[in-house]
Amino acid sequence: MPADPPPPDILCRGLAKVFPGGVEVLSPLDVALAAGQTTALVGPSGCGKSTLLRLIAGLEDPSAGSILIGGETPDHMRRQAAISVAFQDPSLLPWRSLRGNIALGRKLARLPADQALVDRLIRLVGLAGFEATRPAALSGGMRQRAAIARALASAPRLLLLDEPFGAVDELTRRQLALDLPPLWQERGTTTLLVTHSVSEAVFLADRILVLSLRPARIVADIAVPLPHPRLSDLADSAGFHALASQVSTALARGVAA
Amino acid sequence: MSLAMTLPGRAATPALRALGGAVILLLAWELAAQRLGGAYLLAGPVEVARWLTENPGLTGRALAVTLWNGAAGFVLGNLVAMLLAGAALIWPRSQPVITGLSLLVFCLPLVATGPILRVLMGPGNAPQIALAALAVFYTTLIPLLVGLRAAPAVWFDLVRSYGRGRMAELRHIRARAALPYLFAGLQIAAPAAFLGAMVGEFTGAERGLGVLTIRFLRALDVPGLWAVCSVAATVSILAYAGIGALARAVLREPPPLILSMPSTERAPHALVSTALVAALALLIWWAGMEAMSLNPFFAKRPGDVLDALLIAPDAAETRARLGAALSETAIFLLPGYVAGLVIGAALAMAVTLLPAAGALVLPLAVALRSVPIVATAPLIVLLLGRGALGTITLVGVMVFFPTFVACLHGLRQTPGQIRDVFDCFAASRLRRLVDLQIPAMLPAFFAAARMAVPAAVLAVTVVEWLATGRGIGSLMALSASLSDYDMLWSCVLVVAVLSALGFAAIAGIERRMLSRLAPEQVRQ
Ligand SMILES: Nc1ncnc2c1ncn2[C@@H]1O[C@H](COP(=O)(O)OP(=O)(O)OP(=O)(O)O)[C@@H](O)[C@H]1O
Ligand SMILES: [Mg+2]
Repeated sequence: MPADPPPPDILCRGLAKVFPGGVEVLSPLDVALAAGQTTALVGPSGCGKSTLLRLIAGLEDPSAGSILIGGETPDHMRRQAAISVAFQDPSLLPWRSLRGNIALGRKLARLPADQALVDRLIRLVGLAGFEATRPAALSGGMRQRAAIARALASAPRLLLLDEPFGAVDELTRRQLALDLPPLWQERGTTTLLVTHSVSEAVFLADRILVLSLRPARIVADIAVPLPHPRLSDLADSAGFHALASQVSTALARGVAA
Repeated sequence: MSLAMTLPGRAATPALRALGGAVILLLAWELAAQRLGGAYLLAGPVEVARWLTENPGLTGRALAVTLWNGAAGFVLGNLVAMLLAGAALIWPRSQPVITGLSLLVFCLPLVATGPILRVLMGPGNAPQIALAALAVFYTTLIPLLVGLRAAPAVWFDLVRSYGRGRMAELRHIRARAALPYLFAGLQIAAPAAFLGAMVGEFTGAERGLGVLTIRFLRALDVPGLWAVCSVAATVSILAYAGIGALARAVLREPPPLILSMPSTERAPHALVSTALVAALALLIWWAGMEAMSLNPFFAKRPGDVLDALLIAPDAAETRARLGAALSETAIFLLPGYVAGLVIGAALAMAVTLLPAAGALVLPLAVALRSVPIVATAPLIVLLLGRGALGTITLVGVMVFFPTFVACLHGLRQTPGQIRDVFDCFAASRLRRLVDLQIPAMLPAFFAAARMAVPAAVLAVTVVEWLATGRGIGSLMALSASLSDYDMLWSCVLVVAVLSALGFAAIAGIERRMLSRLAPEQVRQ
């Protein structure tokens, strides 16, 4: 545990969501996320992780409770272009090239075009050489990486990543896990990451929230006191394994309950 | 789905195949002219070419007039369609009313609207331009409404996640997503505009290809008539192909298949919107006449028509004449409509079972689909006479081509992954057709059947107006020449309402069938 916890940036109080038809997705959820920290959300499929992300992004209205981001509503922050989301579905526009799709992240945030930044992001996600390619000619994993680059292009204050590496192979995943975090950490971006991979959660996050089956509640709140920058040999350390098995146990408990 | 990609025999380019089809068509035509020329009023391509070289000035001047009217109507009609689609986007609740009113206007029988517009707008080109616009705006509006919503929800989430609103949605997503749909609409609109201008010229203009057509038909100038109709058909095919080429140059994606009607998120009840449409139509009609303070002798108001149909001393007689004319028309219309649908769908299936035949037939059918069949109505009358056979054939042909092309596209529309499953089991062509392709074809079939209703009505009224002297088309022609505006307006109203009802009835059957057979197709 860090000695002096940073101030909360995202504050959810009594947050609940019931979809029309009575599907109850979140049981009232109270959680505070610290500024500049990376929080991983893990939980069984269909438990409401994407829904929680969409609520925080202001794309969905809560059925009860409230969300504050830096003291403001999600809608307000959204209008400041302070949020960017890498959706579970990469959702690239088919008529734009890879470069055009990533530049769209800046355009939608009303930021001036920045060709150098766009090219750097393309290189970082390992897509150099595909700048002019249309999404239809990219593989599933390549599209996901493009979506991450687009989300990073606007240098958001709050970054929401929904299974960003879901379709990416193990080796590329590890590389991205090494290359990308500095990008949001150096800017002090508050990051919320949904993932199905326990080791990825431990490797990337400062804190892991384990969710139960729908309606989701938090079954475990695990701090990851490993220092940054994290290098690839970290995954071999005993501390890493202990944390990973702690998360796995909590996950199993959430499903059994 | 691009035709070139799905046909077997990929080696030949589409242009080459189109050329081959044209040559075969010309040869068959010439052969028919030489063999049957004695028995039928038929002029072959050689004779047509000779006639055209002997009369270049006459044809050129008439073509220029019709082209200009068609082009002006094309621009005007499509602009109106875009404005209406924009209105429906800004205010989604208005969409059922906008589409309902548009359908009603689209169903106005052009042959009778022409003379009415002529007395309202005076002589000159304005009525022809208006008719051309009327002929195109609906077929652009519907694809646009679909296209403006043809994007997955997550794209809109993306825009919203940056705090941007509807203008950004429109700019970054909807406008571009609608582009292929717009092109699909424009492609159908190009020959339709030309046709609209010609129908306007049939009904009393001073100059243009339509006027020549009427003149040659009266004088039984067989080569002249065939020449004018060939010019009209060629221009239409070129316009259709030209917009198709433009679309391929601008777009990377294959053209979309427009199947179902656009859905609205918050549509009012069907009865409510129907009542609204009816009330608004009457209001616009009445207010338009009053605002321009048009002479009630020829500019009838809703009240006048209701009076003529229900209250006036001779109302019973009016109704009887209308009813007799309508039932006479129905005798030609219904068999032609059904035959066109059945033959179109059956031939599409047959061609699917014999892919080699399909490769040959499809480009030809696509080309002929763009011919304004109605513009060639006089030829069919020449060939088959003024009796039932000619009219039924014309209606059938009018319905056949769009149905055939739509069904063929639908049959090829099966998703690749599902096709792979059938491949795994080495399923026979017949099994594939029954289990996979026919269900995939149904939406296309119904869309064609729906759009064929106004087309069939147009065909039957034009041929009755021009040639057969029977049915509602002839009654309209007679009323126009006798300045019996009560009867003319009554005909327009009744025909428009009946074809809109026919359209709605097919849409209803469509919805019911698809929700049983292909539930995933019902929602947009
Ligand atoms: N718009 C909606 N309307 C109705 N139900 C919805 C809607 N969106 C999500 N749900 C339901 O809410 C539940 C949670 O969905 P959500 O997408 O948040 O799950 P998830 O945890 O992200 O799952 P996964 O790991 O599979 O992505 C699911 O049962 C889903 O069916
Ligand atoms: Mg999810």
